[in-house]
Amino acid sequence: MTVTTGDPVLECHDLEKSFGGVPVLKGVSLSLQLGTVTALAGENGAGKSTMMKIASGQYRADSGTVRVQGEELSAGDIRDAHRLGVAIVPQELASIAHMTVYENLFVGREMTTKLGTLDRRGMSRRAAEMLEVFGVDIDPGARMGTLPVGMQQIVEIVKNSSRGAKVLLLDEPSSAISEREVEGLYRVVRQLRDSGVAMVFTTHKMAEMRALADRVVVLRDGGLVLDRDMSEVSDDDIVTAMIGRELEDLFPALHTVPRDAEQVLQVEDLHVVDQPGGCSLQVRRGEILGLAGLVGAGRTELLEGIFGVRATTSGRITVAGREVKRRSPAAAITAGMALVPEDRKHSGAVMGLSVLDNGTLPRLAQFSIAGWLKQRARSQSVGTAMESVRLRSRGLGQEVGTLSGGNQQKVVLARWLTEHVDVLLLDEPTRGVDVGARSEIYRIIADLAQAGMAVVMASSDMTEVLGLSHRALVMREGGVVGELDRSDLERADVQELIFRLSSGLDPRTDRQPEEGDA
Amino acid sequence: MSATAAVPLPRRRFSRDWIVAQLIRRAMLIVMLLVIAFFSYRSLRFSSLDNLQTILVAAAPFALIALGQTLVILTGGIDLSVGSVIAVAGMTGAAVAKSHPGQVWLTVLAAMAVGLLAGAINGFLVSRIDVPPFIATLGMLTAGSGVAFVIGHGAPINGLPAEFGTIANTKVLGLQIPVLLMIIGIVGFGIAMRRTAYGMRIYAVGGNRTAAEIAGVNARRTLFSVYAVSGLLAGISGVMLASRVSSGPPTLGQGYELDAIAAVVIGGASLMGGRGTVWGTALGLLLIQTLNNGLDLLLVPAYWQDVIKGVLIVAAVAVDVWSVRRRA
Repeated sequence: MTVTTGDPVLECHDLEKSFGGVPVLKGVSLSLQLGTVTALAGENGAGKSTMMKIASGQYRADSGTVRVQGEELSAGDIRDAHRLGVAIVPQELASIAHMTVYENLFVGREMTTKLGTLDRRGMSRRAAEMLEVFGVDIDPGARMGTLPVGMQQIVEIVKNSSRGAKVLLLDEPSSAISEREVEGLYRVVRQLRDSGVAMVFTTHKMAEMRALADRVVVLRDGGLVLDRDMSEVSDDDIVTAMIGRELEDLFPALHTVPRDAEQVLQVEDLHVVDQPGGCSLQVRRGEILGLAGLVGAGRTELLEGIFGVRATTSGRITVAGREVKRRSPAAAITAGMALVPEDRKHSGAVMGLSVLDNGTLPRLAQFSIAGWLKQRARSQSVGTAMESVRLRSRGLGQEVGTLSGGNQQKVVLARWLTEHVDVLLLDEPTRGVDVGARSEIYRIIADLAQAGMAVVMASSDMTEVLGLSHRALVMREGGVVGELDRSDLERADVQELIFRLSSGLDPRTDRQPEEGDA
Repeated sequence: MSATAAVPLPRRRFSRDWIVAQLIRRAMLIVMLLVIAFFSYRSLRFSSLDNLQTILVAAAPFALIALGQTLVILTGGIDLSVGSVIAVAGMTGAAVAKSHPGQVWLTVLAAMAVGLLAGAINGFLVSRIDVPPFIATLGMLTAGSGVAFVIGHGAPINGLPAEFGTIANTKVLGLQIPVLLMIIGIVGFGIAMRRTAYGMRIYAVGGNRTAAEIAGVNARRTLFSVYAVSGLLAGISGVMLASRVSSGPPTLGQGYELDAIAAVVIGGASLMGGRGTVWGTALGLLLIQTLNNGLDLLLVPAYWQDVIKGVLIVAAVAVDVWSVRRRA
């Protein structure tokens, strides 16, 4: 090998970036060495993705420089980054689903025959060789869209490394793939490291850092707070660096739920379309029920099924004793349910509308007479609701899209509070929310529960489930595979237990999902 | 150039950024005033009351379909069929007027019903069958222009009773009925879009359909309704146009859909949905009509007018995109 491990290849110096006046990066420096893997860790909203996008030329930094092997990257120029050997594999893959694997590998630098036509056979053969180097078994003629996401990701990585990338940036590489695929990804990353490529990946998963990284860099609220060799730091050091305080301080003290509290939400054997299992659950007034499980376990689907935005084929849902019509969000809202969906931008708020309009939307009927909006009534109600969550905005007229992540989430939550809510369904309530606003949102959730709501909270953040639930259900393949009460949740080995349940490793619970939902 | 509501105003007034942002926001209005000033300076006739009336009469049939188009575009869709719906409605009106002389109301109602039906078919295809709006309304555009010829057996319907011509030419409060309808329509929809639950649903569905559905909005019903409204307005526009020429030519309204879309786009609406206003559309429409009229008065050939209109459309959107990107 000709490369010398340890040479700095990518150097970011004092990067600063802000969006709409909100600083996202506050002077971060980072240097990557050839043949090493660096974990860029941090909470959602810490600035990891922004950092990656600047290093790969997608964004232009407000100030600071990026140097690749001594040469300065012209800011905001993806092609210049490519030329210098910096490639990024984004979280949302940029592969072309309708084209084949080999076409994806060769697009932009196609091999041609002497006649100038495409040399399909040659490209296909070459693609097979490239993939074989990494020991992955993928048919080069398969359509990209038919492959599992993890495989698509590996093809993307192979594509970039085969184009001579010296620096490979992986944005949340394991966020969308199953446990089984993760091993394949790890193998590819290690192999590339051994061949001298410098890699950095963003993550907030401890297991992943331990498995892959030589070095860990932690960002918090746009600043660099930790930069050490992986062997020198403990898990606790990293977690504390990420959240900026001891874990316990992040969550409010949980109130106790009286044993005789009313079962407000009852779901019996609800079958969600395209999910193998059926689900049953009960939640008492004042109780917070956590839903844990791996990505794709069916948590989001269950919440959306209960709320009626996703089609369900059978089952019974009752709120405070009254049955709710399935498959009708309007009926769910009337019955006193509220849903705060996973993806704010995609399904939470209408970004182009004002805080006031977003706050009015779920209760349009109450805020209008014969179709006409009651301006004063809605300003008053929405204003009060937004005040109750201490929304920081320039006023009710501000467009939601211009608020910070934490404040957007507050709008999505508080817009339900203009009327009485019995059942609050939360899907990843703190995704994309910075640490400061996170503990604030936890407190709001706990307060709402204490005031008498039944809360169901799906989260892939284990600490969130452990810190904020009275009781938790573990889901797998669309069904419930385990239930943990508060004393279980406080056991030392609970993370291990949840992991075993959710990945189906525990023989005790390794049953057919049809039995698991009883 | 368009009414760029997305550009946030810097908090310090009269700073350089503030002035630039104001200029971009008001660009449409500024261009409009410049155009008016230019034509008034070049042509004495331009600024006469008579000529204002000419502009308004010319604008009226476009205004109705542009209003419908605004609603459709706000939901992220498009209605290409309005030109043909005008033809079918106009021909229907003419045919009914001929077979039932003396029953003016029946004529108008028949044309409106035909327009509503065409719009309802579009709405059904888009909201229930999930046919892309471009395709559904392209189909209606093609089929509709055929139907218009079928109604007239391949020829214009002529020899209509005199009262058919009075529909569009009667004056109420000193204004011709189409002009009156235009004003009522703009003011009515302008207020409705901001002050009614219906208007908010349209913005919400266009801005983020999933989010709107989770908030309990029936997105399918909202989608259906905007196409139905667009068809109905095209029906009214059709009978007015036919009445104005006192006949039923099957090519009535041909190509009008593009002018309507142009007005909406110049008015600052985003074809992705969720952004735009009725006021913007009205301004865009009047800008196009004022330009047409002024250039006519200056004896600029019609084909040059098309060139100018084309440049205007692209410039409006380019300035819009540029002003948004400048902030990133």
